[in-house]
Amino acid sequence: MRRRGLLQTPFALGLAAPALAATPGAGRLRVVPQANLTSLDPVWTTAVVTRNHAFMVYDQICAQDAQGTIRPQMAEGWVVEADSLAWTFTLREGLRFHDGEPVRARDCVASIRRWARRDPFMQVLWPDVAEVTALDDRRFRFRLHKPLPLLLMALGQTQFPCFVMPERLAATDAFQQLRDAVGSGPFRFLADEWNPGQRAVWARFDGYLPRQEPVDGLAGGRAPRLDRVEWTVISDPATAANAMVTGEQDYWEYPLHDLLPLLRRSRELVVEQRLLDGTYGICRFNHLQPPFDNPGIRRALALAIDQRDYMRAVAGNEPGGWETCEGVFACNSPLANGAGSEVLKTRSLDRARTALREAGYANEKVVLVAPGDYPQINALSLVTADLLQRMGMNLELVSTDWGTLVQRRTSREPVEKGGWSLIHTTASGQSLSLPVFHLFLRANGDAAWFGWPRDAEIERLRAAWIAAPDLAMQRQVAEALNRRAMEVLPYLPLGFYWQPSAWNRKVTGAFRAPATVFWGVAKD
Amino acid sequence: MFAYVIRRVLQTIPVMALVALFVFSLLYISPGDPAAVIAGDQATPQDVERIRASLGLDRPYLVRFGTWLWAILHGDMGTSIFTNLPVTTMIAQRIEPTLSLMALTLVLAILIAVPMGVVAAWKQGTLIDRAVMGFAVLGFSVPVFVVGYLLAYVFALELDWLPVQGYTSLSNGVLPWLENLVLPAIALGGVYIALIARITRATMLEVLQQDYIRTARAKGAGQSSILFLHALKNAAVPIVTVIGIGIALLIGGAVVTESVFAIPGLGRLTVDAILRRDYPVIQGVVLLFSFVYVLVNLLIDLAYTLFDPRIRY
Repeated sequence: MRRRGLLQTPFALGLAAPALAATPGAGRLRVVPQANLTSLDPVWTTAVVTRNHAFMVYDQICAQDAQGTIRPQMAEGWVVEADSLAWTFTLREGLRFHDGEPVRARDCVASIRRWARRDPFMQVLWPDVAEVTALDDRRFRFRLHKPLPLLLMALGQTQFPCFVMPERLAATDAFQQLRDAVGSGPFRFLADEWNPGQRAVWARFDGYLPRQEPVDGLAGGRAPRLDRVEWTVISDPATAANAMVTGEQDYWEYPLHDLLPLLRRSRELVVEQRLLDGTYGICRFNHLQPPFDNPGIRRALALAIDQRDYMRAVAGNEPGGWETCEGVFACNSPLANGAGSEVLKTRSLDRARTALREAGYANEKVVLVAPGDYPQINALSLVTADLLQRMGMNLELVSTDWGTLVQRRTSREPVEKGGWSLIHTTASGQSLSLPVFHLFLRANGDAAWFGWPRDAEIERLRAAWIAAPDLAMQRQVAEALNRRAMEVLPYLPLGFYWQPSAWNRKVTGAFRAPATVFWGVAKD
Repeated sequence: MFAYVIRRVLQTIPVMALVALFVFSLLYISPGDPAAVIAGDQATPQDVERIRASLGLDRPYLVRFGTWLWAILHGDMGTSIFTNLPVTTMIAQRIEPTLSLMALTLVLAILIAVPMGVVAAWKQGTLIDRAVMGFAVLGFSVPVFVVGYLLAYVFALELDWLPVQGYTSLSNGVLPWLENLVLPAIALGGVYIALIARITRATMLEVLQQDYIRTARAKGAGQSSILFLHALKNAAVPIVTVIGIGIALLIGGAVVTESVFAIPGLGRLTVDAILRRDYPVIQGVVLLFSFVYVLVNLLIDLAYTLFDPRIRY
């Protein structure tokens, strides 16, 4: 018995209400999520925390296994016509939404249409989709203008998943936020217990029909083994660590790297990697304004950077906590390559200074905006700031909060008018694995991600990749893309770190997946 | 008296109107964009623009202010940009923990600080006086979050007497409620205790020099009677004033304390809303805090009449 329990005994009899006598149930998992669940709509926002919520509440037509292969999930299967211009999907029998209504093909069609308006991947494919229609309650069909071998990958992706919701909800405009969370996934969202910023609760959906295959990444049987999953937002990492050590919480999704040694010292806790891919550091230039509109100056900085410094600043010296990755595609992904990446392996301040001089740097001010409230991105920013100073550049480091940064990065103005020169961000390995949704590799000027690089060759290669008929050709194009990216440098890759999770030893069944999910997990 | 109360209540209307204008304008000119936060890191500038338009954030200042003010006059504080929940619902969800924390802190602070100040004045220049003043300096100097972490380390991690974090509603029992709030209240109360103790001591020192105290002593009144009946009552007006001013300190300190102890109160709601630029929530919470502060000042003014019969409104 814990000492606190002993203290309570004589007083609790008289003062505590009966409800509190109940101890936490074995089927109740108390989780510290990576962020506050503010929105319930996974189409309206791309926030990871909302996506994790959606994985509990909604199901997918098809899903990604641990090897990245797309497998059927709600779908029993699909048939592709001989000319590849029509795909017919058939739903499994007996699927139901949490409100008791059966899942019908028209729900899938409405969900696909809403999701396609927001997902960058599907937006690329959508012009070649002639129509998506429900054939009957269990079958729906894509009719295409031309063969789309990437269609399945888009539908089953984890980056911006296509979740199925009832037609009445999916009919909502994609830019309007849903307030209801009714899906057909393994857990029901308990809206009356939702206190944004503090608590969100899900209960097992007894009507869920899991697949019979064993769990494999996000594919396979999504059998719920917990009665309840309770998220408590603890914004202070030290407090979250203490709550894990004292057993007040069972699972911490994203412990701060600084606190991992403390957690590892506790015999009650397991600290392990659950996510299948790492988190990548990105240094983004503003290509519209001096000095980084000059490719020679971008190259000078590339010559100086040492990814190991960045990763140590974020994840410390823990063995296996991070890796370098000198290419634009996620390492260990099928397209990963280092063609032309020598520039990132130079790591020479002297050569960088020389290159800077030769590029004609005229002491233009460099405004680097760093988010002080975002520890990982702030650490990346400070390493670059140090490097710029040592290179002799005229640096102004603006330390602000993330909310301000995301607004300021939209400014295309010169730095004297509130613009910026350099920002940093992070991205999942998933999002950097394919050119089709690799935002930082887009170089279509005004339509590109903040920084707005413009390079016709990169765009040509990207289109060539989408049209490539097989993996061999895709890899060939990916090498050309990497080489070109290392010449024009739309951004600088800074390596990647692993984000482990921590959980109590009473928690069993945690498996590796591309996202944090709680089916298959139990608590003794 | 009644007329005075009515007059003061009416005076709150222009005050609140000014606060509303100030808060709205400040948020309008401050950097940050909720649409960009909602859209996420992977969104394109076009996505951000469309979200901004859907939220009405692209409308002119006067249109937005007018719409908001009109809604406020109808008792509608708006809807959170992020959660899509009414601001009043969100405030209602969070008000109990904050009120509990502030009330417990207030009670603890008064119970500890006033006797400390009285004793320090009575034992002026002695070790007790120095100890009390030393504590006051410490209370002023050590930040709330440092005290919070130290308390959590000792009483939760090492001794395992109290929980590290969280809040249990009073409806679930007094003991669980207290269990979660004792450490945060002590952490938050440190600076408040220091402030009240110092003012109590200073005022008591002045009062204890008065002729009527000498007279009471000459009449053979007991020490405790002199201190608490004769002196303290006459020293009460500045002490009550400081307690009232200190409520603002409590509101500020509650933000930090709620973060350290993961208490789901209004302070945490405010910080989260500010970081995300959830304008309706920020406006609603600031209006509420301002109203509470105005109300507390009114109550303090009225309390003066209890301690000093010469004060009449």
